[in-house]
Amino acid sequence: MKRAADLLALSWLVIIVGLAVFAPLIAPANPYHPIAEPLLSPREHFPLGTDGLGFDLWSRLLYGCRISPGASMLAALLTLSLGSLLGFAAAVSGGLIDRLISAVINAALSVPALLLAMLLVAGFGPGLTTVILAIGLGGAPAFARVVRTLSLQLMEKEYVYAAEALGGSRLHIAIRHLLPNAAGHIVSLATTHYAWAFMGVTTLTFLGLAGDPSLPDWGAILNNGRAFLIEAPWLVLAPGLAITLTILAIHRIGASFTEPKLPARIR
Amino acid sequence: MVSFTHRPETSALRTVVRRLLEGLITAWAAVSVTFFALRLAAGDPLSGLLSRGLATRAQIEALRLSLGYDAPLHLQYLRYLAGFIRGDLGVSLYTRRSVSQEILSQLPATLELALAGLLIAVVLGFVLGILSAWKEHHCAGKLSILLTGLATALPVTFTGILALYVLRSGYSYLPEGSVRPIQHLVLPALVLGFATAGGIARVVQAGLRDSMRKPYMLAVQARGIQSGLRYLWHALKPSLPPAISMCALQAAFLLSGTVITETIFARPGLGRLLIDSILDGDFPIAQGIVAVVAIFYTLSHIIADLLSFAIDPRLRRRA
Repeated sequence: MKRAADLLALSWLVIIVGLAVFAPLIAPANPYHPIAEPLLSPREHFPLGTDGLGFDLWSRLLYGCRISPGASMLAALLTLSLGSLLGFAAAVSGGLIDRLISAVINAALSVPALLLAMLLVAGFGPGLTTVILAIGLGGAPAFARVVRTLSLQLMEKEYVYAAEALGGSRLHIAIRHLLPNAAGHIVSLATTHYAWAFMGVTTLTFLGLAGDPSLPDWGAILNNGRAFLIEAPWLVLAPGLAITLTILAIHRIGASFTEPKLPARIR
Repeated sequence: MVSFTHRPETSALRTVVRRLLEGLITAWAAVSVTFFALRLAAGDPLSGLLSRGLATRAQIEALRLSLGYDAPLHLQYLRYLAGFIRGDLGVSLYTRRSVSQEILSQLPATLELALAGLLIAVVLGFVLGILSAWKEHHCAGKLSILLTGLATALPVTFTGILALYVLRSGYSYLPEGSVRPIQHLVLPALVLGFATAGGIARVVQAGLRDSMRKPYMLAVQARGIQSGLRYLWHALKPSLPPAISMCALQAAFLLSGTVITETIFARPGLGRLLIDSILDGDFPIAQGIVAVVAIFYTLSHIIADLLSFAIDPRLRRRA
């Protein structure tokens, strides 16, 4: 049962990546130009009909495979690198540096992450690049905190004491002993975080913070479809389902990373 | 490790005062973060007006002088903090209206939505969490587990639109006059509450499962206490503090969610104001709103901690 769900989730993500790569080959129309009358139903023409401006919805969703998952991947990678760097640096150096980094992390955590991201967009100015930056930076404090706690736990392990006794420097211990042992946890953490970044990016583009409304991002497509809720419900159903299924799939993959490692009684 | 050394019980007043002081520091940190995050991201916050073609260079320089944005950053920060304490958050770049006035005019609507959402989230979260642990192998439990999973995975953007669609298609079946309150408060609060409930349900479920394995639960069972009472009282009580902390953490989700629901349900409030101010480049308003919301978030953590102190005396001693 769990295996089947894992497989489904994985194949959904593979399909998304495949569609993203081959979007120009598969897409029947240009996603940036109107091709027919607006609000044609899926039955009349084209796989998913046309939106309020006469754009082909299917082509826009296809190109959206490149934007939404890709943009949130970039944001998650930014969070991963910045968060891990800060968390590691704090845990390994200890003392004043640890206190300083922890203070900054805790201060940033006192503002809800999505609102912090919105504030950053206010500073950078609206746009897709700034949305990516904002979501990446906004998620970093929480990520850094978890990585710091994780590294502090690992530093209590016997092999770290052994390395210390053998005269290993802090940097040596961090790179040779902590990093390889933390990598697995961090990857699973990053997967869960990717779901958050995806939700964050599509939310910000939904709210119009990517600036350009013709951008075929799933969040923006969902937002554009709102105006025709009753006449053309497929305009919101298609992007909404795409977003939801992707989040479910990422959650499933993230959970499958952690599950087998837990002893039965915790599960 | 559990320490058995005797630690004197601190007085309740001292614990409360201490937590409040900590909260004050957190609030200061939150306000500072909103100030610096915006300024560091923007470089020159007024240049946004120029690039959007909303003001000429001369107008911007005049604005900069009159609003004090020509001063060094640390001076501006101190002025902002001093103003914040007095309730002065600066003025809007366009209307020159006081930001605190703008925020105060929209705050009640958002608070109403957030509190209604919180109420639904707490009730739904506890019901789902308890059912999914207690009736694990029954339909009700399985349904609860499914709903918990959906609540954490479904984006508010989508559930909100679906709810609106259901309402719009059901207009004709609803009694006269009931549409407005439903669209205005009931549905947005339900959407927000459902999304927020997922996290709470998970913690309640995990807490219940954890306490059911404890030896004292075996003792409770041996005393012949019914299964319902065992779950709802003996097992639930120790899992309350983590669940309450989770409610405070989920407040972040709830507060950011109001921005989305206000947009979808065309409800006035801070969220609408925030998005409009970001798109217009009216940064004092955006900064003020995020700072005020962050203070509410801090407040929710304080309330949650005080509640936990009241429930679990062990936490009082540790704090």
